[in-house]
Amino acid sequence: MYRRIILLATRNRSGISRIAEHSINITDQQETKRISVSTCPNRQRMLYNKGVCTPNKRPFSTSTAISKENEESSAPKTGVTEAKVKEKEPKKSGKENLLDLLSAMKIDVTTKKKFQALKSQKSKEQPRVHPESMESATSMFQKATTEQQAQKESLSPELVAAASAVASSMPLKKSQTESELLQQLRKHESDTEVHKKGETNNIGNIIADMKVGKHPNARSPNRPANQIRFDDDGRGYTHDRGVVNEFDAVRRRKSLFTGKRLNIFPSTTDTTETEPKEVSVPSLWDIELAGHIAAVIKHLPRNGFEEMIQWTKDGKLWQYPINNEAGLEEESDVPFHEHVFLDSHLEDFPKQGPVRHFMELVINGLSKNPYLTVKQKMEHIEWFREYFQQKEEVLKESEAY
Amino acid sequence: MAASVLSRVVKSGFEFLQTSFRITSQAGNVEQVRGYYVNWRMLRDVKRRQMAFEYANDRLRMNAIRKNTILPKELQEIADKEIAAFPRDSCPVRIRSRCVMTSRPRGVKRRWRLSRIVFRHLADHNQMPGIQRAMW
Repeated sequence: MYRRIILLATRNRSGISRIAEHSINITDQQETKRISVSTCPNRQRMLYNKGVCTPNKRPFSTSTAISKENEESSAPKTGVTEAKVKEKEPKKSGKENLLDLLSAMKIDVTTKKKFQALKSQKSKEQPRVHPESMESATSMFQKATTEQQAQKESLSPELVAAASAVASSMPLKKSQTESELLQQLRKHESDTEVHKKGETNNIGNIIADMKVGKHPNARSPNRPANQIRFDDDGRGYTHDRGVVNEFDAVRRRKSLFTGKRLNIFPSTTDTTETEPKEVSVPSLWDIELAGHIAAVIKHLPRNGFEEMIQWTKDGKLWQYPINNEAGLEEESDVPFHEHVFLDSHLEDFPKQGPVRHFMELVINGLSKNPYLTVKQKMEHIEWFREYFQQKEEVLKESEAY
Repeated sequence: MAASVLSRVVKSGFEFLQTSFRITSQAGNVEQVRGYYVNWRMLRDVKRRQMAFEYANDRLRMNAIRKNTILPKELQEIADKEIAAFPRDSCPVRIRSRCVMTSRPRGVKRRWRLSRIVFRHLADHNQMPGIQRAMW
């Protein structure tokens, strides 16, 4: 999400350059004004004057500065922007600090304590958002990104330890290899998490762009709502209330559970928990009764949509948008190294010989197969183990076991 | 893996409406079940698909042992005999893709599982979404 803010430093009669900001790609003019206030307070303007542009010299006519969100990605192009960026540094969000800390984290990897230190630091950064910029979309964007950053820290300590061990076994550039390995692992984790949770990132970005809406029902119609109004031909009509007004009061509350308790009903822990009853196998009569109740309650589909809903619930129709891993939700929790590193299952086989060779080929193929679950792979290996144990005599005759 | 490949091939195998199929209930007595497959040949094809699904993994592993240059030949000969001892309906080669509506063994388009005659009939009556008469 890039927002280009073009700074027009125009020459004024007073000679002091007045910064007027215009923005491309922002629809709302009000928003730009708000941004201009937050990013260019008076103090900054004075510095701009002192540092770069004196009254008599010709100021820069245009310069493009990329806004606060993207300062990590682009190098500032002119001296103007350099001063601006430097001024912004003390105000940069938790995100920047977090990135610095992450890069510093490369060399010293003592896992848990460091993560906790990071988290506590990040939680301190967050309340430092400026109150004036609270309503602007930029702060929402920053919050969304900091939340994303928080998720990236959740690498298991074993993986981190393994990465450090691998890096130390490499001959050259240990810290760099380790940081690269950790980066890959983090990327992998974030990808899988994004995949699991669906499109949460995009929603955050989309929301960040939207402005906080004003109260929708601020202006109610002047006339009383239910009064019949008369048309030209004398036939009256009532103003369509719609469902909106009825739920207005409900919607005005931010959530369902705010408001004072009425204490009408006693709280839930009134009845003590009875000991769990014995669960007997449901008899055929019970099953039949349950089926009968279900059939009575189930309504026949009134239209094609309801029919499709019913089929989807039955499992006859796929779920849309198509999920390639529809039946395999548990499988996504299995970490990748259990799929790939299957050598440990080969312990029962002989160390040398054609059988071992054969099994190594089998394991090689299985590790490259993305369509099987780990359980299925294990079943394959077990079957071979049993088979070779049964055929032991034949193999010993041909000196293969 | 073989099982999942074959499960796509085993299309309607798990509908338990069969034409006069004999099944053994939990109590052990043989019961007749009336069903609605088009003809006996279709039923037999269904049974072959179910059996091929069951034995798919075993056949895959046995073939992996047989088609091999590493394991000793005696073992491979024994494996040959074992795979020949599997029931005949368990091999996927015996499956024939039939039309779902008419059980016609020939002229079946794989994507719709219909024979050409039924396909044409439905398409002309506008029952096939996205199908249009070609004209160019």
